[in-house]
Amino acid sequence: MFRHLFTLIWNKKKQNFLLITEMLISFLVVFAVFTLVVFNYRNYRKPMGLEYENVWVVNYNNTLKTTNADSVMLFYEGLKQIIKSMPQVREVSYTSANIPFTQNSMMNGLDYKGKHINPNYCQSDEEYKNVLQIKMKEGRWFGKEDMNVSKRPIVINSTMKEQLFGKESATGKLIGDSKDLKIIGVIDDVKMKGDYTDAGAWLYVKIDTSSMPGIGRILVSVVPGTDAAFESRLYKTIANTMKDSNIEIEHLTNKLKDINYFALVPMIILSIVAGFLIINVALGLFGVLWYNINKRRSEIGLRRAIGATSGSVSAQLVSEALILATLSLIAGSFFAIQFPLLNVFDLPAGVYLTALALSVVFIYILVLICSLYPGRQAAAIYPAVALHED
Amino acid sequence: MIRLQDIEKVYRTDTVETLALSSISLDIAKGEFLSIMGPSGCGKSTLLNIMGLLDAPTKGDIRIDDQKTVRLSDKQLAQFRNKKLGFIFQSYHLINDLKVLDNVELPMLYRSSTAKERTQLATEALRKVGLSNRVKHFPAQLSGGQKQRVAIARAIVGKPEIILADEPTGNLDSAMGNEIMDILLQLNKTEGTTIVMVTHDENMARKTHRLVRLFDGSQVQ
Repeated sequence: MFRHLFTLIWNKKKQNFLLITEMLISFLVVFAVFTLVVFNYRNYRKPMGLEYENVWVVNYNNTLKTTNADSVMLFYEGLKQIIKSMPQVREVSYTSANIPFTQNSMMNGLDYKGKHINPNYCQSDEEYKNVLQIKMKEGRWFGKEDMNVSKRPIVINSTMKEQLFGKESATGKLIGDSKDLKIIGVIDDVKMKGDYTDAGAWLYVKIDTSSMPGIGRILVSVVPGTDAAFESRLYKTIANTMKDSNIEIEHLTNKLKDINYFALVPMIILSIVAGFLIINVALGLFGVLWYNINKRRSEIGLRRAIGATSGSVSAQLVSEALILATLSLIAGSFFAIQFPLLNVFDLPAGVYLTALALSVVFIYILVLICSLYPGRQAAAIYPAVALHED
Repeated sequence: MIRLQDIEKVYRTDTVETLALSSISLDIAKGEFLSIMGPSGCGKSTLLNIMGLLDAPTKGDIRIDDQKTVRLSDKQLAQFRNKKLGFIFQSYHLINDLKVLDNVELPMLYRSSTAKERTQLATEALRKVGLSNRVKHFPAQLSGGQKQRVAIARAIVGKPEIILADEPTGNLDSAMGNEIMDILLQLNKTEGTTIVMVTHDENMARKTHRLVRLFDGSQVQ
């Protein structure tokens, strides 16, 4: 019977071409949506890798008049001690502007044994790990022993370690153009750009509080339940220390919400566009099948007369629609499979393959739903009436 | 072979009730060639549809090959039609998107048969109606007479015991009509196929074994 249906479809290729094209386009759009959804979902399922509740961010612009390194360092050390001495404060850390859950990026290319990567550079101090409760995977975080060493100590995350060293241990390895960066530790991946974005490669260098640039954020870990009154006190304390500086205090929980919205917007827009397209395709498919049934009443009557049951007539029409869907899905899968093969957008192959499988299932379900009712209508055609009409 | 007892058919709508057939009783013997005549709207096609199990009577009993058919399920009816009956229609009812051979193979698709068997049987049926050289053609490339011959090949491909023909020569000129009639007579004679034919043509009807006349849904001869 399938051979017969293929023959029928092939002989009507001109009429079926538009329908196949329509299904192919909807498949590709659905594939794009599912790729984004699967990618976001896989990232969402991964652990955050840091503790962001009860962590505040102090943004400031430095208005220090002196450029003397020792004075600057003493100033920052003093400020840290003042903040830390407050009873609600657990830990304080200086860091560069690319704090968790912001779009700020500091990237720089790095080569190692023929591999090129573009990690995010983050400057942080010894307390950074404790403020965000980041876990070490191997080695250690920055400490006092990292002062006055010939090779600049760095900490990398698991993704960067995988990219450069695979399963090997990274601790103790030297990287950089002139092998001047020494890896002292590897941390678990941290989703710095929110719930729906993958960790990416991160490289942490120790912040130099004696130089002005790079400093601009203070992360403050506070005890749970710390209220706005303390936030006001903290603001005043910092403002008194940093005269004429613009200070702003934000909460990481709010920043996470904002960056999550930002990540979801493209998916929502694409889903709305895809939704309209799918409704359009569903109505089109439904209409074409309905039209086909009315046009093929004589054929349906004949098939009933020569031995088809009402069920087999219905099954034939549904099968025809599913075969057309299969043809469009074969073509669509050919295009879709190029994405993992050519590593487009640098997403894991598993994301594309899962999205491909979901899109195939989705299109089959859509076609099945759209063809079931017309199929049932065809089954209800009374052969004596259909044969008499022509 | 076919026994109709007190057949009545009433078409009902919300407001109108139309009596299409009234008290038709008919016995058709195995190997008989029967023609049914009557004016338009007298119920000839309705009677043929009831004999072909395409329509159910409002009242009465139909037995084909001693088997009661009134209470058969949709699946049983379909199997019965497929194996016992062959249909020929005035307007051929060929599927224009299928080649001649594929059209003839159609009834075999609803039986358990291999592609090779189907092709073999269809080729044989087309040979019987003299269309061996048209197997790859589409219906649109054939004349009316050739189309009807394809329809006959489709009707006989499954070797049914009964052929029901609804005005098979109605759309053809007399020469082509005669050709079709000769094929049916030949089938009846050589294969022993029971044929029931609805016709408007007295000349064609005279060539058959028996003539039944209907008028306003009742049998008058």
